[in-house]
Amino acid sequence: MTCSEVQRILPEFLGSAPDGALQTDFQTHLKSCPDCSDLLSDLTFIASEARQLTASEEPPARVWVRIAAELRAEGLIREPESVPVRPILVPTSPRRRWSALWLAPVAAAVLAAGAYVINHQPASPVAKQQVASTAVPAPAATQTAVANPTPVTPAPVSTPAPQQLAQKSTPPSLNAVRPAVEPEPSAEDRQFLSVVSTRAPSMRATYENQLQAVNADIRETQAYVNRYPGDADARQHLMDAYQQKALLYQIALDRIQ
Amino acid sequence: MTDQKDRITEAEAIEQAKQGHEAAFEVLYHLHKRRVYSLCLRMVSNPAQAEDLAQEAFLQLFRKIGTFRGESAFSTWLHRMTVNVVLMQLRKKGLPVVSLEETLEADDEAPRKEFGTRDVKLTGSIDRLQLQRAIDRLPPGYRTVFVLHDVEGFEHNEIAQIVGCSIGNSKSQLHKARLKLRDYLKFMRAEKAKTG
Repeated sequence: MTCSEVQRILPEFLGSAPDGALQTDFQTHLKSCPDCSDLLSDLTFIASEARQLTASEEPPARVWVRIAAELRAEGLIREPESVPVRPILVPTSPRRRWSALWLAPVAAAVLAAGAYVINHQPASPVAKQQVASTAVPAPAATQTAVANPTPVTPAPVSTPAPQQLAQKSTPPSLNAVRPAVEPEPSAEDRQFLSVVSTRAPSMRATYENQLQAVNADIRETQAYVNRYPGDADARQHLMDAYQQKALLYQIALDRIQ
Repeated sequence: MTDQKDRITEAEAIEQAKQGHEAAFEVLYHLHKRRVYSLCLRMVSNPAQAEDLAQEAFLQLFRKIGTFRGESAFSTWLHRMTVNVVLMQLRKKGLPVVSLEETLEADDEAPRKEFGTRDVKLTGSIDRLQLQRAIDRLPPGYRTVFVLHDVEGFEHNEIAQIVGCSIGNSKSQLHKARLKLRDYLKFMRAEKAKTG
């Protein structure tokens, strides 16, 4: 059997073993031809490695937020009958009214803060010190940040390859800079959690999970941007994460009002 | 995840989702999100598009969940639905679902074996990220068949049915995709060695 013949039957051989005589000729050729042997080895290796890619990527938290919003809009989500339904159109107390109205400006503030943080990152490959809190900054905190910019500390880091950020959900390098400890929720987050705590348990759990996920996304991406401030993809991803959080607040607001 | 979500099984979640329970929808989403999103991402090589496609796949699933009778595995049903959503998108964009290169390529474009210098085998020298990048570089048609067969585990007869080609064509596309990946991976390894 020649190399050309081996290459011709290789697709079949990789799928299932050829018949006896062909199999013998094939194996004999492989023993005497390192090129064909390497080719078979490489193709088998690629096929086996590819299986490791199944379910290897985590979608961003916003995907579920969008799905849930669409399901609600289409009326596919129905509250369980056993859950008492509150008259949510009219706030039952000044406290609740304030809590709901609070969400709109905070959602806007989230976006503004996100835009500020991202646009004020240096474009040079000089790492900035990590922003104090990666949870959503409050408007007041943002103003403070404007007045007192965080000091810059150079760090000998190189810009990652563009492809490194192609997988926006969980770039491998993000894992390396992931904070080990969950920070305390910000005042806005505590207020948000307080507002959604009036919802049905399943709904409340959804909001809590989404908030946790989007905060984690912001923290990870912020840490990455601090490390690679010149990376436009990372900055865009950070802005997306802030928008995601604003969207979460907005959905909560829509549901409560 | 909450304790409630941890306790519920997939079958229970399906039944509750048919009743419109949000928590059940979320359980199903979390059970399958990684595989669905990964499949979309591999096939389109664009995270933003993959998000949209994963969202559309789950929405289609939840809209039709009332018709699920359990004749096939739920995951099989969902993954088939996801593949259809992605292929529909590729067709809308005018991208070939199955590569046209087989008919367009001249014989001299076919994979060749180089003699003279032996290269080192790939085994052990590539990682997941490199393979992922190499897959992203495949032409869409090759990528579709490779992802469906080698990543997702579909059989050639299933791929032929899904994408509308012959079984032989599916096998041929897969083989050429693997050969291209091998070239890409060796090139990437050489580039990496050059840059140190």
